[in-house]
Amino acid sequence: MAIRRRVAITGLGLVTPVGNNVQATWDALLAGHSGGAAISLFDASGFPVRIAAEVKGFDAAAVLDDRKLLKFANRSHCFALAAAEQAFADAGIRPTATTAERWGCTVGTGMMGVDFSELVAVHGHSAANGTLDAAQLLSDASANNPLVFCRSQSTSGLSLLARRHDIRGYASSVHTACASGGQAIGTALKLIRRGAVDCALAGGFDSMISPVGIAGFCLLSALSPDNETPERASRPFDLTRNGFLLGEGAGFLVLEEWESARRRGAHIYAELAGDGNSLSSYRITDSPPDGDGPIQSMRQALANAGATLDEVDYVNAHGTSTFMNDRSESAALRAVFGAGVKNVSVSSTKSSMGHLIAAAGAVEVAVCALAIRHEVLPVNANLRQPDPDCDLALVRDAPERRRVRVALSNSFGFGGSNSCVALRSPAAVDGAGFQA
Amino acid sequence: MSERTIVITGTGAVCAAGRDPAAILDAVRSGRSAIAPIQQWDTSRWPTRMAGEIADFNARQMVDDRKVHKLIRRTDLLGLYAADRAVDASGFAAQRASLDAPAAAEYSDRTGVYVGSGGGNYESQYDYFPLLTAAEEQLPAFGRELSSTVNPMWLLRTLPNNVLGHIGIRHGFKGANACITNHSIGGALAVIEAMEALRTGEADRVLAVGHDAPIEPQMVLYYHDVGLLAKDAIRPFDARRDGSLFGEGAAALALETEVSAQQRGATILGEVLGGGSANDARGLLAIRDDGDALSRAIEAALDDAGLRAADVGMIATHGNGTPQSDASEAAAIRRVFGSSAPPATAFKWAFGHLIAAAGIIEAVLALASLRAQIVPGVATYAVADPDCAGVPVSVDAQSPRSAVALILCRGFAGTNAALLLRAKV
Repeated sequence: MAIRRRVAITGLGLVTPVGNNVQATWDALLAGHSGGAAISLFDASGFPVRIAAEVKGFDAAAVLDDRKLLKFANRSHCFALAAAEQAFADAGIRPTATTAERWGCTVGTGMMGVDFSELVAVHGHSAANGTLDAAQLLSDASANNPLVFCRSQSTSGLSLLARRHDIRGYASSVHTACASGGQAIGTALKLIRRGAVDCALAGGFDSMISPVGIAGFCLLSALSPDNETPERASRPFDLTRNGFLLGEGAGFLVLEEWESARRRGAHIYAELAGDGNSLSSYRITDSPPDGDGPIQSMRQALANAGATLDEVDYVNAHGTSTFMNDRSESAALRAVFGAGVKNVSVSSTKSSMGHLIAAAGAVEVAVCALAIRHEVLPVNANLRQPDPDCDLALVRDAPERRRVRVALSNSFGFGGSNSCVALRSPAAVDGAGFQA
Repeated sequence: MSERTIVITGTGAVCAAGRDPAAILDAVRSGRSAIAPIQQWDTSRWPTRMAGEIADFNARQMVDDRKVHKLIRRTDLLGLYAADRAVDASGFAAQRASLDAPAAAEYSDRTGVYVGSGGGNYESQYDYFPLLTAAEEQLPAFGRELSSTVNPMWLLRTLPNNVLGHIGIRHGFKGANACITNHSIGGALAVIEAMEALRTGEADRVLAVGHDAPIEPQMVLYYHDVGLLAKDAIRPFDARRDGSLFGEGAAALALETEVSAQQRGATILGEVLGGGSANDARGLLAIRDDGDALSRAIEAALDDAGLRAADVGMIATHGNGTPQSDASEAAAIRRVFGSSAPPATAFKWAFGHLIAAAGIIEAVLALASLRAQIVPGVATYAVADPDCAGVPVSVDAQSPRSAVALILCRGFAGTNAALLLRAKV
């Protein structure tokens, strides 16, 4: 059997509710700062949930010197462009005229749709009585605005990233709801391994903090209704948890074939070592109480990475802070690790950032890479009364100093898609006598 | 017999021209286009009125599960229908039923699902129009009256990955999976990623599906406004071509290793030989005139399959009928095949452009064509265009040069994909 190509993570970029770059986000995650606050992006006063974790003080024009490109970008695309810019700068490599065809791009994108203001515009002109009058659309400014069209397609973000960075190889958008970001990174791993590309920009972006986005989750009673204490609303694995905190943002990674990254002297955060995907095939929104589905994705990721259970030092949990997810994920972790589960440190950084939906998996893989680099695990914030059903070695109160050989990042989506991404410390790859 | 040989053991397809691959191919061969005036809304004053709509659309008849209809939309129904047909044809469920419980559970865990989904539409958001009216477009009232006005299942009905999730639930498949929302090449990439899941051993058998239902007023208007839609017909590579037209539908392929198919005695329809994809990186709508990325996708697919251009027996072109796409597609074909391209056809003229399902339904039809040992004619083709030289397309049926088909697929964001199949004749 041919030797499989290894994949190196050599650049990171983050725009999150707790920081508009990698350093700011990482500092906030170690401190357990919350990105939760009253919604400022629109008047949410009438909504049952009036809190979210918004990206703050973000100015796309300040980080991206291409006003023409930004005209085609919605809020989540701006996050993506900014995070990708950071990731390339961090990696110190980017596509050139001679390498562009060997670069791929895989992105987890949010749901397709127009900005709320455009929906209201179409309503006012073409559906004032509550149903669409198609004849009215013919003279509807919004429904005839090519910019609105270009910003609202499922591949809009991909097109901006590929154009901005001249990425000419395999390029794809994926969407498995909250597992999208993990799936995008797993797809890039496969592309580099099989030689379809040598390098990739991979990540996810989303912004659902809008009247329609908040409404969709409110209707499902999926969000924490703790409007008075937004900074405490996301408390994964806590007995009193009552829903997730909606976040927004983007996370991107620069990935390179390992040997070529080594040859150019790249600073490698971690090996992107494996991924696993499964379907729960249970219910569209609910997680199976016994962890069926996530169990298989974790086992596959470990097998795919060639890693053993006792090498895993850290799991960045999906940990949404909903009753069902956290119980199901705990059951899955117990099933996979058995008695060894007590030796695996676990935290959900959604406790700080909220749930970034299609971006969550990508951002959290980046967090795992940072944990490996800095040998410290971010805190599971807001954990005061651990749920006995979630009996895990949770990183409580303060970040934990720990050298990480293998880290796992879990992401589970509505629709039942489960993604698990495995990362390995570069020291463990190079066999530098790494001992836990 | 090889673990690396990926075979096709079931297909399904639905579009305006029919509800199974044989019926659709018959309609294509008869020269009848199913493209007709849109019925879903009054288009009498519209600049573009034509599309390939599925007539007599009966949701309950297509998918016999009352509960699921409350949770999905039209595009999802089409995907589930095609997936069900491919699963039925493959015999996967019957095989699992013959196993004891632990082996059946393992079977389910080792069965993957890869879906190319349109990713959504504009109409989904219209479910908020009654609320906007009731709230007089004021947000506080919008928030207060939300739960009394909007279907609580709104978000679930709108998930782009609904077909993936519901195939899992309907058939109990739980293995490797992806939902690819990559505009028109989503279905083609679902086939490529499904093939790779089998090659790498991530799954033992896989269902690849593509589905889309883009025929809605706002989508039609945008495509018209940016100059992509034809007046009345799709005329691929013809000098008179003036655009594309939407269709709706879905297709599915059941795939497994040759070893697996032979061990269980399944009927092998053909092989998936390889695939490739590349990007033009010029923006959402821009296309390079030289077809650069498409030619690289073709080269990547040939390389992946270990074939030379001369091995290709027919080309199922993207042939969407827009002036620029067809001309640049021809440029890409000339770049790879020179002046000796094999007989070429196109399918969209007969039932419209299925967007996310386009590549996969055309793969299913290319397979059916090769099995019938014909390259179907293009009934709307009449006047050769010098800009499209080198693409041997004809109004009459042709004979394939071999049992290998190259299927081409292109989408927004500069994406291009190429697939290679071999039919078992």
